[in-house]
Amino acid sequence: MTSRTILLVEDNPDDEALTLRAFKKSGISNEVVVMRDGAEALAYLFPDDGADVPIPALILLDLNLPKVGGLEVLRRMRSDDRTNMIPVVVLTSSKLEEDILVSYRNGANAYVRKPVKFADFTEAVKALGVFWLLLNEPAPSFGPKIEFEVGHQ
Amino acid sequence: MISTIQPSPKVTATIQTVTSSIPATPAPLPDGMSAALLEAAPDAMVCIAADGRVVLVNAQAERLFGYERAELVGQRVEMLVPDAARAVHPGHRAQYVADPRPRPMGAGMALAGRRRDASTFPAEISLSAIDTDDGIVVTAAIRDVTAQLRVKDLERTSQSLESFIYAVSHDLRAPLRALNGYSGVLLEDFGGVLGEEGRGYAERIVAVSEQMGQLLDYLLQVSRISRSELHPQQVDLGSEAARIAAEIQRRDPGRRVCFAIEKPVQAWADPGLIRTVLENLLDNAWKFTSGRDDASIEFGTAPSGDAAVCCYVRDNGAGFDPAYADKLFQPFQRLHPVRDFPGTGTGLASVRQVVELHGGHVWAEGAVGAGATFYFTLDGKDSA
Repeated sequence: MTSRTILLVEDNPDDEALTLRAFKKSGISNEVVVMRDGAEALAYLFPDDGADVPIPALILLDLNLPKVGGLEVLRRMRSDDRTNMIPVVVLTSSKLEEDILVSYRNGANAYVRKPVKFADFTEAVKALGVFWLLLNEPAPSFGPKIEFEVGHQ
Repeated sequence: MISTIQPSPKVTATIQTVTSSIPATPAPLPDGMSAALLEAAPDAMVCIAADGRVVLVNAQAERLFGYERAELVGQRVEMLVPDAARAVHPGHRAQYVADPRPRPMGAGMALAGRRRDASTFPAEISLSAIDTDDGIVVTAAIRDVTAQLRVKDLERTSQSLESFIYAVSHDLRAPLRALNGYSGVLLEDFGGVLGEEGRGYAERIVAVSEQMGQLLDYLLQVSRISRSELHPQQVDLGSEAARIAAEIQRRDPGRRVCFAIEKPVQAWADPGLIRTVLENLLDNAWKFTSGRDDASIEFGTAPSGDAAVCCYVRDNGAGFDPAYADKLFQPFQRLHPVRDFPGTGTGLASVRQVVELHGGHVWAEGAVGAGATFYFTLDGKDSA
């Protein structure tokens, strides 16, 4: 089931604090789950015991992460039916063209560079929340049912 | 055995093989011309008989190896081979004679030559062979590549420096974001507790961290530009300037500025990079004319001298003291206080970097209160 949860994958505690504050200040009250490296994020999305995990409504994914990098997390998510339609926004300091390209190539839905200016940063997080949680229509459900409907179009 | 550079059938044939632009069955060269050709060759030439003895050398070979001609001719060519490779050289020689197609020596290997004083130098060596009445003669064209290797080393150093700059400026952004962010939080959430003076200090932290962010952006940009490959093509700088001018005017609709833009101005340049040049120059002109009601900005061309094109951006704004003209293009140099004309002092440094990357030059003319003119040249298609 799709939940209202936001999954924030971020290793920098300052960026985490500022992102959480920005959500709070923008009146976005969804639960935010924070994973501090790529391995944690994968363990959260694909638990060892095969338990069902609430599908996050939005994932904010840093690229430069300890252990397992953000791109690897993205690749793993996109190759699994349970997670391949979750909106993923890459939120990173990198403005390397190759990072942007490879993110989109691996199925990122958006790429946002963290602004240095506090006001811009807050504004960006707010805009992401509003767009992906309110305006955007998520995929209705995941799994074979979707494929069946698409096949009959 | 030939011991002097007297024209002979053998020498003529050697030269014809070495200079591959000559047709396959050439007419005999006039007397003396083959010797002159050998002497004029840019590389050191050493001709060797099948037994490995030197039959002929040119002046470049004498200079390169430090021997007189007479000391080389008749000797085994191994005297020019570094000690470490001397033992295996006769074997390589025999292999070449068995299959004597023109080719570079030691494909992929680092080759070296040995001078008279036993010092060595890195070399590129091309081989070719010809049949003569006295048997096969192998010609080696030898080039000292010390300078090329040094350039490669420098390029490698410069590349790693650029990567370092990139990494540093990138990594510094994270703490900067925290600095700016937490000061912002202090102001927003604890402004009342801080009091007026405290808020003033927090505002200063916000301001300087933003300024540092711009400086890091500049560093990133420098690193990006130096690492970027030029993809030059035909660009109409006039149309580009007109587009940028319209965009600047649109951003600041309250101001009235008279633009005069020459069109077309064809140039051979990388479109993305040359756009940043025009943007920076026109942005500057816009900024430094902000104090005038009759502001005018002109883009045009001037006599270009040796270059293919010389463009200028002229304004009637604040100008600058020509004593400091050379400082204008240095990064982080500002000739006006920030409160008068905001900016990081990096725009013109970027302009210079891009123009020089294109093989051009930048310079400026101006006087305090009398406007400024910024010139840049670009090379044409053939030299760029």
